[in-house]
Amino acid sequence: MAGYASPLALPLPRGGAAHWVRSYWTLIRWHLAGLRMWLSLLATIQVLAGAGFIFGIALFFRHIPATAALFVCTGVPVINLVMVGLILGPQLVAEQKLKGSYEFTRSLPVPKTAAAGAWYTVCLLAGLPAVAVSLLLAEARYGIAFTVSPSIVPAVALTAFTGTMLGYGLGHAIPNPMTTRLITQLLIFAIFGYVPILFPAAQLPGWLVEVNGWLPFGHMAVIVRAGLTTGLVTGVAASYAIVAAWGALGVALSGWALGRRG
Amino acid sequence: MTSTVPGAVAGGRLRLPAGRRSGAGYWLACLRVMLRFDLGRARSWAPMMVLIQILMGAGMAVMYGFFYPRITPAVALYISTGTPTLALVPLGFVLIPGIVGQDKTEGTYDFVWSLPVPRSAQAVSTFVLYTLLCLPGTVLALVVATWRYGLHLTVSPQLIPAVLVSALVAVSVGFGMALMIPDPSIANLIANTLIFVVLLFSPIVFPPANLPGWLFAVDRVLPFYNMAEVIRAGLTTGLVTDLVPCYLTLLGWLAAGWLMTTWVLGRRR
Repeated sequence: MAGYASPLALPLPRGGAAHWVRSYWTLIRWHLAGLRMWLSLLATIQVLAGAGFIFGIALFFRHIPATAALFVCTGVPVINLVMVGLILGPQLVAEQKLKGSYEFTRSLPVPKTAAAGAWYTVCLLAGLPAVAVSLLLAEARYGIAFTVSPSIVPAVALTAFTGTMLGYGLGHAIPNPMTTRLITQLLIFAIFGYVPILFPAAQLPGWLVEVNGWLPFGHMAVIVRAGLTTGLVTGVAASYAIVAAWGALGVALSGWALGRRG
Repeated sequence: MTSTVPGAVAGGRLRLPAGRRSGAGYWLACLRVMLRFDLGRARSWAPMMVLIQILMGAGMAVMYGFFYPRITPAVALYISTGTPTLALVPLGFVLIPGIVGQDKTEGTYDFVWSLPVPRSAQAVSTFVLYTLLCLPGTVLALVVATWRYGLHLTVSPQLIPAVLVSALVAVSVGFGMALMIPDPSIANLIANTLIFVVLLFSPIVFPPANLPGWLFAVDRVLPFYNMAEVIRAGLTTGLVTDLVPCYLTLLGWLAAGWLMTTWVLGRRR
């Protein structure tokens, strides 16, 4: 390895904090280099999709009610945040499995936590531009004045973390790529329409509200909304706990899937 | 796939007529064989496809209702009659590109195109199969929507050509596009993300009067609104008036889908 003096070469010995940090940094560069086309395309599509929702929702109504606009505008950033990690992450892993590059990636001499951390960072970075553009567009289109509080930082970080880790776990745990594609498609569908992200929970039937109480996605919207508005949401602490619990579940699932031999 | 191939080689049910490999008779025999071949391959995912379609069609019909604080009868009528289109569009523009993409990655086309069968017969077989697979999910989605919103629709015979043409357009354009775009993962990404936006901006589940004029002008050229209109005309009376431009636009898209397919299939590699 040393003889090649490659810019991505890792030093020996392979242990300790320095190795972890170096692996983490190397993998971020690896992802950014490998996915540069993909990520720039993705950022564009995310911005377009966010803009699409913000402008498109007005077409549902002759005159859009202010609450409907507010919910869509604060919900779109949540979708932007989880889209990369939760939906496109597993599809990417599925594609690697089909192409045969999956085994190679897994054989890289890096700590699993550094690999997961690097992937989280890339997903967060890929989602943030779309979040910013969505909020600016919302402000321009509906004249909504967001009251951004410092709690937006942990809200965004945790939402992206849980989304990414769940996607990471799913992608690695599901052996069949077709199943992964199917599940992610159902997820994206549910997130747009069956979870109170883009509209108030009161517009859903009671049983669906109950179900969403146990799932992380509606709570992601609650914590992000709490960082962007005042007086719109309640029970923020419980929402943080539920989103964090799902994040932990995602970590456990990833750990199990990656710890397997096979 | 491997289970079907030996049958073809060993003179099983998939044998083609001996002698000159041309003429209408030979083409029809090829179509029959390809249909059986495609049906055999489809067995693994066809039930899943119908299921997804029911979820997408019926699921989206229910979902659109959640976006409204109050569902008026007019809102309910537009959502219900737009449902069949909602069931057809994701199938043609997301699911089929996904399947084509996977076939490309796995190298299936390299095999299929090497068969001693005209490629036109292969394409027609694909279109027929997918169009037929579209139908059960579309009908079920409509049933679910009418039940959810408690509507009584007046079904007329013109619903049949409307659904058939719309399904064929969705399948043909989706298939042609998927063949044209070289990288399947990019095709998949674009399809997945933009389909919801396309559906948002097309007056399928809401009246065109909600749209600004220029946007409606765009939608009249795209296939989605026109599919919704011809199907809506078969489910209601008096809501849709002039169907000729809708059908003409749809036939144009059908031709475009077939042209794209022909172009890719006709190329030598």
